[in-house]
Amino acid sequence: MRHLLFDLRRSVSSTNRNARSATVMGRLLGVAFVVCILTGLYSHFLQQPYSWMHFPTHPVSLYKWSQGVHITVGIACFPLLLGKLYTIFPQLFQSPPIKSIGHVFERASITLFVSSSLVQIFTGLLNTFQYYPWPFPFKQVHFALSFVIIGSLAIHIALKLPLITRYWTAKRSYDANGEFIPPESDLVPVTPRKQALERLAALGVDPTSAAFQRDLDDPTVVLDAEVSSAAFEARRPKGFVARIFAWIDDTPSSPAKTSRRGFFTAVTASTVGVVALTAGQSFKPFDTINVLAPRQQGLGPNDLPINRTAAAAQVLETAMDPNWGLTISKGAFSVRLSAAQLLALPQHQADLPISCVEGWSQMATWRGVRLVDLVALVDADASASLKVTSLEKKGGYRIMMMGSEYVHDPNTLVATHLNGERLDIEHGYPARMIAPGRPGVLQTKWLSTLEVL
Amino acid sequence: MTASASSESVLATSPSRGVFIGRVALIVFGAALTLLGAYVMMTTVKPKNIVGVITWLIGALILHDGIISPIVVGIGIGLKRVGRRIPASVLWIVQGAVFVGSVFTLVVVPEIIRKAKIPKNYTVLPFDYAPRLAILWGVIVVLTAVVIVVVLRVRRRSPVDHTPAA
Repeated sequence: MRHLLFDLRRSVSSTNRNARSATVMGRLLGVAFVVCILTGLYSHFLQQPYSWMHFPTHPVSLYKWSQGVHITVGIACFPLLLGKLYTIFPQLFQSPPIKSIGHVFERASITLFVSSSLVQIFTGLLNTFQYYPWPFPFKQVHFALSFVIIGSLAIHIALKLPLITRYWTAKRSYDANGEFIPPESDLVPVTPRKQALERLAALGVDPTSAAFQRDLDDPTVVLDAEVSSAAFEARRPKGFVARIFAWIDDTPSSPAKTSRRGFFTAVTASTVGVVALTAGQSFKPFDTINVLAPRQQGLGPNDLPINRTAAAAQVLETAMDPNWGLTISKGAFSVRLSAAQLLALPQHQADLPISCVEGWSQMATWRGVRLVDLVALVDADASASLKVTSLEKKGGYRIMMMGSEYVHDPNTLVATHLNGERLDIEHGYPARMIAPGRPGVLQTKWLSTLEVL
Repeated sequence: MTASASSESVLATSPSRGVFIGRVALIVFGAALTLLGAYVMMTTVKPKNIVGVITWLIGALILHDGIISPIVVGIGIGLKRVGRRIPASVLWIVQGAVFVGSVFTLVVVPEIIRKAKIPKNYTVLPFDYAPRLAILWGVIVVLTAVVIVVVLRVRRRSPVDHTPAA
C-alpha cells in the first residue's frame, strides 16, 4: 500500500506541484475568500439585520460595489481554486494515509474545505442567473457553508503555518538553479530503479544505448561488477501497473522555471479573462467587453434589467388597477394617495443604483416623492422605521422592513419615473421604493402600503 | 522508509510559544466557526435537503479528485511523453491555453444549459453563449499559435537556453 501511494504520488508530482506554488495560490485564494465572506456578511445583514443594526446610506453605491466585488471575486475563485488544487494534488496520496489523530483531523478539515469551496463557488455562479438544479435551498446553504469554509480555512492555515512561513518568499523556496527545495519531512523516496539509473549515469553508462544493450546481451563481454549490478536493478519492471509507473517515472520533467512561468501565466490569464469578460454586469468600464455575464447593463424596460417580473409576482392586474392607491399609516391614523395625488406632490430626482444581490447593478435616474415627505403626512418622527408591503401575492420580499436611516435619507424616493419615463410595470408601476445603498430585493416594487412603526 | 518524522504531532514543529498559542487559537476559532456553519445548516435547512447538500459535497470531491485531476495529470504526462522533441515552453503554452479555455467553458456551459430552458425573463442571460464560447476558443487557439511562433523565433535567436522536454 505504501509503495502504491508513493508510486501514485511520484507519478502526479510535477515541478509546479509543490509547497511554494501552494503557498502563492493559497495567499491569493485566502484573500479572495476573506473578501467574499466580508462582502457576503454585509449583504446578509442588510437583508436580515438585527434590530440594533444601522447601515450607511452614503456613498449611495456602497452596496453596488460590495456586492459587485462579491460576485466578481467569486468568479475569479474558479481559476484560483482549480490552480490551488492543482498544486496540492500529490498530497492526496500521502503515506501513511493516516499518521495520528491530529492528522485525521487535518485531512478531514481539508476535505471539508475543498468540497465546500467547490460547491459554494459553483452554486454561487449559477445563482447569478437564477438556475437552481440542486436539491437544497440556495440562500440558507450558501450562508451556512460560508462559515464552514472560513472555519476550515482557519484550521488549514494553522496546521500548515510552518510550511507557509517556510515558503513565503521565492528566495527561500528555490535553489540557485531555480529548483524547488522540498521540505525534509515530505520527501518521496526515489525508487531503487531510479537510483540504479543514476548510478549508471554517474559511471558514464547510458543504459538505453544500443552499444550497451549489445554488451549486456553478449555473454563474452565481462562487465564491471558495479555496472552489471546497477544494470540489473535498472531493468524495466514486469507487470502492467509497475510498467505504467516506470513509464511515467521515465517521463522527463520540464525545466522548473519554464513550467513555473507556464503555470502562473495560465492561472493569471484565466483569472483576468473571466473577470474582464463578466465584470461588465456590475462595473460600467467593463461594459464594452461584457461577453459572458448573465446580465447586460441598459437592457430591459426603462433601459434597466429586471429581476422579478410582474408576471412572476402576479401583479399584472392589481398594478394596472385605475383605483390603485398608496396607503400610509401610523397606528390608527392613515392617509391614502391615488396615483394622481402622488404625482401632484413635490417631485425630486435622484441618481441611485439598482444593485442586485446576484451581482449585476446599474445606475439609474429616478423621480418621485421623497419618502420623508410622505411619512410626514402621518406625523412620523425622526426615529420612525417602516414596514412596506407590495402588491405581490407571495414571495419572501412581499413585506420589507426599512430602518430609520433610509426612511429619513433625502435620496430615498417613492419613485414613479425611471430614466425619464413613467415606471414600467416590470419595474414596479405604479410606484416603487428606491433607497441608497440597499440590495435590489429590498427596493420594493408595486407598492401597496407604508406602515410607520 | 520509516515514518518517524511524520508520526509526531502535527503541531510539534512550532518554533516558539507565541506561534504555538496563535495556531491553537486559530484552530479553536476555525472549529467554532465550522460548528456554527453546521448549526446554521441544521436550524435553517430541512433534513431531507441537508442530505442533498452532503450528496453534492461528496459529488464535488469525486468529480474533482477522481475525474478532473487524473485527466489533467494524464494530459500533462502524455504531452511530455508524446512531445519529447517539442520544447518544454511550447508544451506549457499548450497546457496553459487548455486550462484557460477549460475555465471559460466551466463558467459558460451552465449558462448555455440554463438558457436552453424556456426563459421567463429576457434580461437574464441575454446573449447567445454557445457561439460566444466557440469564438473564445478560436481566439485562444489563434493567440496560442502566435505565442508559440514568437517563443520559437526567440529561442532560435538565442541558442543558449535550449532545454527540450526530453
